Amino acid sequence: MSVCRQEDGTILLEGGCPVEDAESLLQLLQATPGAPVDWTRSNHLHTAVLQVILAARPTLVGRCGDPWVAEWVNVAPASAPITGCDR
Amino acid sequence: MNALHEQFIAESRELIHQATDDLITIEREGVTKERVERLLRTFHTLKGSAGVVELVAMSLTLHSAEDLLTAIHVGRLGTTAGIIDQSLACLDLVSRWVDEFEVHRSLPLRADDEARVMIRRLRDLMPDSAPTQQIAPERKTSAHIGDEAAAAWVLRLIQSDRAQNFLRAQPRSTELVAISYEPLVGCFFNGDDPMALMRKIPHLVAFNIDAREAWPPVAELDPFACHLRFQGISAGNRAELSQIFRLVPDQVRIIDVPLERFGLRQSTGVVEIDSTALTRAVITEQRRIVDVSHRSEDFTGRIGAAARVAANAMRHDLRIELAEQIERAGATAIRERNVEPLLSILDNTIELITPLSPRAEGEKAETGAQSSRRAEVERAAGHWIRVEESRIDTLVNLVGELLVAKNSFAHLATRIERDIETGEVAQAIGREREAIERLATEMHAAILQLRMVPLAEVFRSFPRLVRDMSRRFNKKVRLLTLGETTESDKSIVDRLFEPLMHLVRNALDHGIESPDERRAAGKPESSTITMQASRIGDRLVVEVIDDGRGINPDIIRRRARERGSLTLEELANQSDEQVIDLVFSAGFSTTAEVSDVSGRGVGMDVVRTTVEQIGGWVSLASHVGVGTTVRLDLPISIAMSRIMLAEAAGQVFGIPMEGVTETLHLSPDRIGQIKSNDAFVLRDRVLPICSLAELMNLPEKPGHKSDARLVIITETSGRMVALEVDAIRDPLEVVLKPMQGLLANARGYLGTTLLGDGRVLLVLDLK
Repeated sequence: MSVCRQEDGTILLEGGCPVEDAESLLQLLQATPGAPVDWTRSNHLHTAVLQVILAARPTLVGRCGDPWVAEWVNVAPASAPITGCDR
Repeated sequence: MNALHEQFIAESRELIHQATDDLITIEREGVTKERVERLLRTFHTLKGSAGVVELVAMSLTLHSAEDLLTAIHVGRLGTTAGIIDQSLACLDLVSRWVDEFEVHRSLPLRADDEARVMIRRLRDLMPDSAPTQQIAPERKTSAHIGDEAAAAWVLRLIQSDRAQNFLRAQPRSTELVAISYEPLVGCFFNGDDPMALMRKIPHLVAFNIDAREAWPPVAELDPFACHLRFQGISAGNRAELSQIFRLVPDQVRIIDVPLERFGLRQSTGVVEIDSTALTRAVITEQRRIVDVSHRSEDFTGRIGAAARVAANAMRHDLRIELAEQIERAGATAIRERNVEPLLSILDNTIELITPLSPRAEGEKAETGAQSSRRAEVERAAGHWIRVEESRIDTLVNLVGELLVAKNSFAHLATRIERDIETGEVAQAIGREREAIERLATEMHAAILQLRMVPLAEVFRSFPRLVRDMSRRFNKKVRLLTLGETTESDKSIVDRLFEPLMHLVRNALDHGIESPDERRAAGKPESSTITMQASRIGDRLVVEVIDDGRGINPDIIRRRARERGSLTLEELANQSDEQVIDLVFSAGFSTTAEVSDVSGRGVGMDVVRTTVEQIGGWVSLASHVGVGTTVRLDLPISIAMSRIMLAEAAGQVFGIPMEGVTETLHLSPDRIGQIKSNDAFVLRDRVLPICSLAELMNLPEKPGHKSDARLVIITETSGRMVALEVDAIRDPLEVVLKPMQGLLANARGYLGTTLLGDGRVLLVLDLK
């Protein structure tokens, strides 16, 4: 399991996050809406996992550990639209 | 190629043919439940087999066609010419893909685009309440994005800072490709990771990921249903992208970014080699200069230079009038300090020299490549024969018997070894030899049977051809095919398509009158072209008969005179039949206009040449106002040739029997002299006598003047010649080997064969 809740309530994504993690992540987010997600330690996100993040728009901690996602995907705060990254 | 692929190719071709026939029957004779059901089954099977070999684009295209046919089947849609046309076009496309698959083991990269275009065209024919949405809800979106919608998202991506930075850094980077990818909702279940494909895109310069529809509340989110849409712009090439997304052709849309359209093309696009594009770029650039410089200080110099450059570019393109207009507009602009008229004329110029849309151009260029590719595939297809099982069984049985006969020789050899009963042994050997001879003859016949295919193989292409052409010429034509089950050697049947196509084209274009003319002549409006095959003795006769206007010998005489091919005197001496025969000569055409179908005078020449190459001949009979019949007389098999053995100056030569009409003993009193040549009269025709020995440069045997002379009367292309020989031996059936090695270029020989005593026999080519 590469998704887990830490003691401080932050949801941590770690290592490669395969498709199954989408469900675990969603359950955690449904259980505790507003819990921040730390994605700095995940080096690869499956599309399904990213989709949960895009749909739920949790507060994200740090820069994504998946370099491609960090470069190209900009998850805007909950009120703004999601767009490609212009860095 | 593996067995599965082989079977797929053979089966697909069969199904495509069948579906084409059925579509044409439906068009001609109307819709019946059985016909539509049969057609649906064929399309369904074709789709299924495409799925088995994982040709997704083909399978999806056929799926759309199937939707259309289903709508007809359930009565929600009537058949229209448009639907038949599009279904036939769909089969054409699929047929081309099968050809490609045979050569390259995969579909071409552009297949995805072709599939998308075809699917859209098929869907456009569907009634509004399209059931396709229920069948495949995910596919609707990608197929229906219009150009305008596409332009909006492409523009948004292009305007992103990232893309703008890229364009500024590389103003001359010429080609950008935009891609939109909407994965299937259930793609995660198939083990797909759509973003993994986006990650592979080379030289990504802009990227966007968003939801296709507004996100549901988190509580209702299905984590395993994909609702995402990916869009990107790449500076890589289109082929690479097609390759990456080859497995999801129905879900992606790849388009070239028209930088000019977005006003983003900064430079002249020098990579384009064709001069029109270059001219266009030059004019566009001048327009930009004119546009930006109307407030600058060096107004006069800039506008003058721009107008001159643009005018010169037009002169280079040989558009002198436009060049002068531009110059005048330039002068006016300087005088009145108003660039508007100049700008408008430059805009008009750009529009004028902008070629057809890239797609139209691509299609045009494709037809040439396509036909050559088809030819290539057809040659490859020529290596295959589908053989009826029973014919193979016959062969297997014969080989079995042959083995038994062979074994008996071992027994006989033992008896000879023991040196007993030699008389009886000799008799036994004689009996076995007879058995083997019988078996060899039967086996030979059985093997030739393997190569026999029905004429239906070549006839079946014609209903479609006649349908398309009769529409083009606005003529009502019914095609009747008779004797399709007549069989001939595959090599002959394969080569018959081209001559028959020319004959049918000619009949349609020149022979058959327009419905008005036919009515005026008291004929039924609808005409008939009959293609008829029959077996007469050991010959195959194929006739193309039309009930059109016939060939008027007077018109041929006039054309021949105009072309100077024959003098007035020669023409006067020729019978109508001989004159009509002139249509077979190269470059002869009776029509004033050359259509894109016929009239170049090449067709009939090709017919005669091809037919003669396969050992046959063509004859033509025509009656003005009644119609024309062209008859192809062909050998059944070219694997075996019947030859006559003739001796001249002590050497033996083979003469092909099909050229021999008779043999004669001529008494000296029948022979007369014309100039320095011997000749004689045969049934009111004067025939020259040529000595075979003389022709072959052999020393002639001194003969007595009083001796009767032996001649073989030969006829080729309507010319008769008497060939003098010393002796004639029994005719033979032989397998001709083509001339090889040093002799390959020797003229006058058809080939060689081995005689029973081991000598090589040269077979003469009478032509």
